[in-house]
Amino acid sequence: MAGAFAASIYQTLIRRNAVYLTSIFAGAFVFEVAFDTSTNKVWDTWNRGRQWKDIKHQYINKAEEEDDE
Amino acid sequence: MALSSASTSLLRACARQQLSTTRAVVASCQRNSSTFESPFAAKDTTKIPDFSKYASKKGPRSNQVFSYFVAGTMGLASAVGAKATVQDFLVNMSASADVLAQAKVEIGLATIPEGKNVIIKWRGKPVFIRHRTADEIKEAQEFDWKTLRDPEADEDRVQKSEWLVMLGVCTHLGCVPIGESGDFGGWFCPCHGSHYDISGRIRKGPAPLNLEVPAYNFPDEETLIIG
Repeated sequence: MAGAFAASIYQTLIRRNAVYLTSIFAGAFVFEVAFDTSTNKVWDTWNRGRQWKDIKHQYINKAEEEDDE
Repeated sequence: MALSSASTSLLRACARQQLSTTRAVVASCQRNSSTFESPFAAKDTTKIPDFSKYASKKGPRSNQVFSYFVAGTMGLASAVGAKATVQDFLVNMSASADVLAQAKVEIGLATIPEGKNVIIKWRGKPVFIRHRTADEIKEAQEFDWKTLRDPEADEDRVQKSEWLVMLGVCTHLGCVPIGESGDFGGWFCPCHGSHYDISGRIRKGPAPLNLEVPAYNFPDEETLIIG
């Protein structure tokens, strides 16, 4: 079972060096996007209610009301 | 005197020799008391230890795949790290948001009446904005610009023909020309007498080029952004 799995991975990804390198760089791209997204999400969760984008609507609305007056 | 020194050196040599002989005697006594085993005695030297305990139970292919996976993960991590490093340096070199914001000037056009000049400061240089009248536009457009020193059509110098925007720096030696003066109803540089027409083109005097037009755009009807 494990041997068949390893053999299939070897045949698809590792056997040809071009495929191997391409999959490494593609994996790097995917990993970077996933890593950035997840760390940003963690940061936003950690600082919920404390960032400008969280409190922006209060001040923007207030400024518009003052303009209207 | 010489003799006495020779005798002392002889004595010293004797003492030294005696010491070394006693040492040798002591050493030989110790050697005799220990046993000696020859390393060349008949012995089975071809016995190989049993490594089967450490051998992998998995097939050779899965071990190979594991090695390649580790190497590939290393390559992936270094690719991400290298990209992030290069990107950080490039981001560091580019202009920050406050610098970019200072590099632009926004002007409300409703306050500039027709036929009036406005001079504003942009990146440390004066910028002329003229709200041209219909007559001035006509004059600027119908002039035969191909005979000029720096031939340029009025259409190429303005985005909206009623708004003329250009740097207020004389192309001769960098003085600031005076508006609504000169022989051609445009700008006149008092330093060396360059005359610019109502499109900012050099018509007379030493200046080699027309007044420079900066990058600008109209986000809406009433606003002008230079930069």
